[in-house]
Amino acid sequence: MTDLLRKAAKHAALILLALIMLYPVLWMVVSSLRPGNEIFRRPGLVLDSLQTQNYADGWTALAAPFGHYLANSAILVLACIIGNLVSCSMAAYAFARLEFTGKKLWFAIMLGTIMLPIHVIIVPQYILFSQLDWINTFLPLVVPKFLATDAFFVFLMVQFIRGLPRELDEAARIDGCGHARIFVQIILPLMLPALATTVIFTFIWTWNDFFGQLIYLTDPEMYTVPVALRSFVDATVSTSWGSMFAMSVVSLLPVFLAFLVGQRYLIRGIATTGGK
Amino acid sequence: MRRIALAVVAALTLSACGGGGGGGAGQELSKDPVTLRFTWWGADERHKRTQQVIDAFQKKHPTITVKGEFKDWNGYWESLATTVAANDAPDVIQMDELYLSSYAERGALLDLGTATQHLKTADFDRTALDTGVVKGKQYALPVGLATYAIVANTDLLDQLKIKLPDDGTWSWDDFKRVGDEVSKAGGGKITGVQSFGFDAGSLNVWARQHGASVFDDAGKVAVPEDVLAGYWTYLRDLAQAGTAPAASVTIERAGGALDQSGTATNASALGTWWNTQLPSLATASGQKLKLLRLPGESQASSPAAYFKPSMYWSISSRSEHPAEAALFVDFLANSQEAGDIMLTDRGVPANPTVRAAITPKLGENDKAAAEYLDTVKVGTAPRVTPNGASSIEAIIKRHTEEVLFDRQTPQQAAKSFITELQAEIDGA
Amino acid sequence: MSALGELQRMRRGSGGTLGGKKDNKAAAAFLAPWFAGLLLVTAGPIAASFILGFTDYNLIQPPVFNGLDNWTRMLGDTRLHHALGVTLVYVVVSVPLQLAAALGLALVLDRGLRGLAFYRSAFYLPSLLGSSVAIAVLWRQIFGADGLVNQVLGIEGQGWISNPDTALGTLIVLNVWTFGAPMVIFLAGLRQIPAMYYEAAATDGAGRWTQFRRITIPLLSPIVFFNLVLQVIHAFQSFTQAFVVSGGSGGPSDSTLFYTLYLYQRGFGNFDMGYASALAWLLLVIIAGFTAVNFWAARFWVTYDD
Repeated sequence: MTDLLRKAAKHAALILLALIMLYPVLWMVVSSLRPGNEIFRRPGLVLDSLQTQNYADGWTALAAPFGHYLANSAILVLACIIGNLVSCSMAAYAFARLEFTGKKLWFAIMLGTIMLPIHVIIVPQYILFSQLDWINTFLPLVVPKFLATDAFFVFLMVQFIRGLPRELDEAARIDGCGHARIFVQIILPLMLPALATTVIFTFIWTWNDFFGQLIYLTDPEMYTVPVALRSFVDATVSTSWGSMFAMSVVSLLPVFLAFLVGQRYLIRGIATTGGK
Repeated sequence: MRRIALAVVAALTLSACGGGGGGGAGQELSKDPVTLRFTWWGADERHKRTQQVIDAFQKKHPTITVKGEFKDWNGYWESLATTVAANDAPDVIQMDELYLSSYAERGALLDLGTATQHLKTADFDRTALDTGVVKGKQYALPVGLATYAIVANTDLLDQLKIKLPDDGTWSWDDFKRVGDEVSKAGGGKITGVQSFGFDAGSLNVWARQHGASVFDDAGKVAVPEDVLAGYWTYLRDLAQAGTAPAASVTIERAGGALDQSGTATNASALGTWWNTQLPSLATASGQKLKLLRLPGESQASSPAAYFKPSMYWSISSRSEHPAEAALFVDFLANSQEAGDIMLTDRGVPANPTVRAAITPKLGENDKAAAEYLDTVKVGTAPRVTPNGASSIEAIIKRHTEEVLFDRQTPQQAAKSFITELQAEIDGA
Repeated sequence: MSALGELQRMRRGSGGTLGGKKDNKAAAAFLAPWFAGLLLVTAGPIAASFILGFTDYNLIQPPVFNGLDNWTRMLGDTRLHHALGVTLVYVVVSVPLQLAAALGLALVLDRGLRGLAFYRSAFYLPSLLGSSVAIAVLWRQIFGADGLVNQVLGIEGQGWISNPDTALGTLIVLNVWTFGAPMVIFLAGLRQIPAMYYEAAATDGAGRWTQFRRITIPLLSPIVFFNLVLQVIHAFQSFTQAFVVSGGSGGPSDSTLFYTLYLYQRGFGNFDMGYASALAWLLLVIIAGFTAVNFWAARFWVTYDD
């Protein structure tokens, strides 16, 4: 009985917390269903009519239907995910399991590369990529991911690999496995939660990243969701808030679904696959 | 690693020096197909209309392709600075008064005086053209004009049974008095005045009414300390007397988008705006709004109001197709076709011929904005914001906040403002 | 000999690579993409920004070498000192709060509760919005003059975001609100702890508290460490939220002027990229210092398997 009560209390607390946390999100959804010019004149969450006009307007408000920007973002995200999974896991294996000359120094350099604010890097980097004639393609955004420049994920995977029992790969080594096989057959399957985390984060961060996409994608044909969303906003004239919120909701959906699916893989770690 | 770094720095140096590859703007148009890049900031409505203008131009000139690149305001300046640094700037650039000198004086823009073969400016008034002159050269062509004004919510005033004084003769004291009446009648929810003090327009007007100007012709800060102190004293009084909302509310509204302002949400009866913002405000508010002349004008020795270009057209000095770019700007600025599509989206057209032609096609509030421009008495426009002072609005805003929150007295703010702004100009 | 003790002895047992040999060749192969990225993509721009830190560079004209001018200028730059103060307060207050919230909820949401997927997603949803343009408007709905907080507390005519005394606080709350990222990493870390350890401990009759202290904490410590290091770096570089909420100004009255926001204003707003580059390198030194301290302190509380 007390156990049941405790469970109910726990659920009540969690639901309350979730509601507070979700208030802004709910407000956005409600606002997207209001006539545009009422959004700031009526606070609160109460809707007196359901308007889907904002969705229709927002979808066609820019140079191309909004689906075009969703598709661009999807392509970009997919390429970035593959890049990060492959390159970061390889680098992480080296840092976590191999002994090599200058390891500590290289590791420090790797962490150092994420300590500089992007704003001073972007101009030299733009010049570099424009010399390569990569402006207005996805290449400046994708190629670096295949080259393990996201030190965040390298470090993340290093920490996960170091948490795996060494006996597993040592046993494999005694059996005559090389590093390539240990990496692919033993380490990778065991670090599924870390890989899932990488997928989720790469998805979300690329989906939301504004600065790089704004600078490198110049032709509206190439615009992605965050760049397109900002095209609704102008501080000096009236902004189509209704359309902006509607399209924000639309662009939030894929991310939310990605998370819903991805988080299942967070649960399937060693606890279910490796624990005998 | 060192070699790569040197290579990148060398590239920076080179790209900054590189000239245009396509010869001067005075030459004949190319017979081969040419692609121009054209960039602007704005919201979705402007993107749509501008694309229609581009389509119309391409129909007339089938060998020229124009690629539009639209951005939001903040992203626009990051992106423009980056592309200019990399010698990869778009050919036709929408420019703002705050940044004009910064780009022109550093050689990023084409002297449009060299492009007269393709770009005609005969329709424009000399005073309008002068707003695009930097160091004696026409670097930019004004697109639309705007003038500072008071926007009054007449529905709200009627509802509270408050009569407006004659805006031909009213003073800043009258303005405050009306505001007080509204605040008293409004019962807390509604305040009389939406405080200003966050833009260069209000400061220019204030300085000019006191016979001063923010900058002198040489581009030095010229506004006297006591005039500035008076400006902030007035703003502080508005807040303390309850004529304007409490400091935090004022700042919150000033920091938001136009739709979140007191005028747009019908929370303030009077506000300072550019006349061209009336239609957007009216749409957001849903009530009857009216443009009034600025207080204090009849007491000032000469009109403080002035025409401010809403934005400019300019051409990159490193454009490879300056002649075609000039032709396109000519189309944007002079053609009836473009005027009919854009209407007042970029302000009331600075070209009087286009303005006259589109006026009958405007809606009620657009028409009111255009008529206001024709009837208001203006003086000569202040000097273009000098190179280095592009952050003037941020500096004004910060000092207003300091005063409203009693962290600085108006006198201290005035002193600190002048020092800081002058240092920015000297540092550029 | 207890099963748990056996396991722990095993874990502490053999460490290092077999025979202690170096695997330079294998490492080179595994690190090849990273090395290529470092050389081709990362190193050039980073080195260029270092060199630009010793120049006067307005983005439009070529950079001009000006020696240590940028660095001596920092000494007298009061807005910079103020920005450093704001950033330090933000890092010191918001990182521990955010990590505590993330770890706490990760533990609650780890197992044995109905509707886990729902809760996880609900708590993660705000993080998806964290850097969107919409956040400027949404945050006003909570901390603005007409926002949720005022409605609940019955306050009128006062805002939290635009009051210099409380604005930074709202950004700290905003950062804590987006605890989803570290929470997901904690969840992944918890999932990776082999169930056999808990089974072994249960066989030994260890209670839940003992299990938490002797298994969860030590085995999760590399992940806690990771989150701490990265969130500190991240918080020092915090930009988007302050930029969006304050409209780029860091206001009111510079109360939310984060270091990178100031750097951005100098670089892009004032065409002062030489100085901005020098500022970036100062920030790098500061972050590196904090990270080094973190790594040094790690030896006292982080346990690895190797």
